[in-house]
Amino acid sequence: MHATKEPAINKTNTGECLGLVEVTYPIAVKYCGHCSMPIEYCEFYSEYDKCKEWLAKNYPEDYEKLQLREAEDDAASSVDAEKKRQKRGGKGLLRIKKDNSDDDAPKRIRLSCTMRGKNKRVTIVAGLGAFKIDLRAAAKFFGNKFACGSSVTGDNEIVIQGDVKDELFKVIPDKWLEVPKEAIEDCGEGKRGQQN
Amino acid sequence: MFKKFEEKDSISSIQQLKSSVQKGIRAKLLEAYPKLETHIDLILPKKDSYRIAKCHDHIELLLNGGGEQVFFRHRDGPWMPTLRLLHKFPYFVTMQQVDKGAIRFVLSGANVMCPGLTSPGACMTPAEKGTVVAIMAEGKEHALAIGLLTLSTEDILKVNKGIGIETYHFLNDGLWKSKPVK
Repeated sequence: MHATKEPAINKTNTGECLGLVEVTYPIAVKYCGHCSMPIEYCEFYSEYDKCKEWLAKNYPEDYEKLQLREAEDDAASSVDAEKKRQKRGGKGLLRIKKDNSDDDAPKRIRLSCTMRGKNKRVTIVAGLGAFKIDLRAAAKFFGNKFACGSSVTGDNEIVIQGDVKDELFKVIPDKWLEVPKEAIEDCGEGKRGQQN
Repeated sequence: MFKKFEEKDSISSIQQLKSSVQKGIRAKLLEAYPKLETHIDLILPKKDSYRIAKCHDHIELLLNGGGEQVFFRHRDGPWMPTLRLLHKFPYFVTMQQVDKGAIRFVLSGANVMCPGLTSPGACMTPAEKGTVVAIMAEGKEHALAIGLLTLSTEDILKVNKGIGIETYHFLNDGLWKSKPVK
């Protein structure tokens, strides 16, 4: 991009040495949908191919530019090997952490009822988080709907006061259309914390 | 610093800030980044109430009204912008450019070594030791990390060995991945 030989000093810090042009703020940066970095950094991601796929699908223009640039780079590097540049050892590649949320695992919502005290019942809803439902909003909604107490009790778990299990079979798919009816499971008289 | 950061586990408490404290932080930010003055109302609107998320390892995150992380700091250190904010307003932090070979190391969280700042392809802006800098890369438009100069740029040229910038926050680390806090 620029061809300085010795350490260049940028005196003004206006971004000149980076070739920036006048822009309005805030700048909208295009982020890759696969690796979440700005698309120019995708090539440093270990799953670059998937990034490319994503780019081709979402920003075909940028994808074309990228291919052009790659072709140029290939041509350039074969002509004069980068002798001046220092080499670095090590791998220095990003390792990808495995996502814990397996997309393949069947998403299920489990409903169960338990006794609290001697004569009070509570309903436990587990598994809403798998559908990317905001648990706090959901708890609030249940409270409103059934006129009762309702709270988030843990990761992926909501406790509703009162026995409302039967109603929930209808209410949940109505409220969140992405939840299929079959995904809701009746666990009967389950115990708390039995979610996984 | 944010290599092992995880939104769920690392944030221990979130506090609403008193308006006097808010003013203090704003003033501090403006003092540290005078160039920010033109756009600070976009980043931290005066009427908004911000929150502070206290995290493990003495890290504090400043959240704006929408719950987005905008600045962070370590103990009593300087406030530093998050990369998402910096991408929107790249002009207010001093930029240092590293060469191409260094990118992958910085992206995996390494500190920037002096040779990476002095080799062809790199480009430095004169700055004192301890300045917050945005780490840019050769041929790239956007910043890839944020760090603190451990040597002044003069010394970096002279010494040309060892750590030049201590990386605090880089693309795809824990802070980058964390979503706005509600």
